Amino acid sequence: MKELPALGNDATVRLSRQGGQVTTMTRPREIEFAQCNVDEREQICNVLNRCLPQTSTDVGRGDQRFYQIEVRYRSDNRDDQLRFTVPEDQASEELKRLWDKGQV
Amino acid sequence: MSGQRHYLGFMPPYILNRLIDHGSEWQRSRALKTLTHVRQFLPATARQSQASVAEAHQPGQLQRNIYDAQHLTVLPGALVRVEGQRASGDVAVDEAYDALGATHDFFWQVYGRDSIDNRGFALAGTAHYGEGYENAFWNGAQMVFGDGDGEVFQRFTRSLDVVAHELTHGVIESEAGLVYRNQSGALNESISDVFGVLTRQYVLKQTAEQADWLIGADLLTDKVKGKGLRSMSHPGTAYDDPVLGKDPQPAHMDDFINTQDDNGGVHLNSGIPNRAFYLVAIALGGSAWERAGQIWYDTLCDKNLDNDANFQAFATLTVQHAHQRFGTEAADAVRKAWEEVGVGLAGESPNERTSGLG
Repeated sequence: MKELPALGNDATVRLSRQGGQVTTMTRPREIEFAQCNVDEREQICNVLNRCLPQTSTDVGRGDQRFYQIEVRYRSDNRDDQLRFTVPEDQASEELKRLWDKGQV
Repeated sequence: MSGQRHYLGFMPPYILNRLIDHGSEWQRSRALKTLTHVRQFLPATARQSQASVAEAHQPGQLQRNIYDAQHLTVLPGALVRVEGQRASGDVAVDEAYDALGATHDFFWQVYGRDSIDNRGFALAGTAHYGEGYENAFWNGAQMVFGDGDGEVFQRFTRSLDVVAHELTHGVIESEAGLVYRNQSGALNESISDVFGVLTRQYVLKQTAEQADWLIGADLLTDKVKGKGLRSMSHPGTAYDDPVLGKDPQPAHMDDFINTQDDNGGVHLNSGIPNRAFYLVAIALGGSAWERAGQIWYDTLCDKNLDNDANFQAFATLTVQHAHQRFGTEAADAVRKAWEEVGVGLAGESPNERTSGLG
């Protein structure tokens, strides 16, 4: 995936930290674009787009943690979604902050 | 002596590490490149240490290198204690050293296995990883231990079974290479729990009946309503806490969790084979590492165990190995244990659920 699709007012981003010895501490964070202003949406999309080079499907082995990003959105008048994962040791500080604090 | 640190160049590695963790993207990128360059000249990294071990290794000879990440997240960190050196005085470093030694000793004395690769792999462990880091892991080259946040979790080096669990991930990669997803991933996790808990029982000289069958009992602070991270005897009962939530592990195939999280629930559904192992150990009695552990070890090392094996395939092989090594009675005990958790054997399993996708 080279770039996120265009995300409109109806998009939802769900971030969670998965894997590791402690399974119940994923602390999923859901961000509804309808609750964000245009600047916030753009900043979130920028953070997610900058994650894309670090995505991997081979994550979690040996209790290594990873960030899971799920995006639900409308495309061509139908619901769509995508999911990608970033190894913890490759995750940017801005992604971690978005998950942890909900801030960009 | 706390180990020698050789810093070459004008910029010490700890400053580079600081930039990598806290600098801007540009600073991070430049610091990472510089650190990678500097590391070429440093005396030992986890991978480099393997070459020197291979040169002159006596079977069963233990080689440990313990590093200090200094609360950063760059591995392996500063080398602070090597094999044979006296205690460093740093509790986490010395716990990691001792626990890796105990795990190596367990595999060597009980199963004749010479470290992770059965060829004397030098054990590398890094303590003080990150800030308040609530995890321990195996990254394919070494073990890594966080200090915990102090509120919910204490330092992860406190728990011998957790350290042994991480080392066992290396053993599994070296043997069956169980794919870390869905049922094969849950088997990967379960086998790590099995040999993690057996290492502790071996050190404490506990029988199956005496053991608590908990993973990570030493990790939780007094503030947590729980006994440990996982219970192998009664999965799903390890904790029920406002912060941690409730232990979600199932103990039977009827409660198998279908999920895309956690690599398909590898830390969740491992409760099912964990309980099967516990039931075998109790049925056979005595020291669990002697018979139940040997059956599981033989199965792990069996070339017929596919890397994408599901519970049924693994269970079927355990029954075969129980029979080969200990006879019909042991094989019946193993078969009964799998039946009790709802896993049928290949060719005789009308009740086996297939929703786990193996």
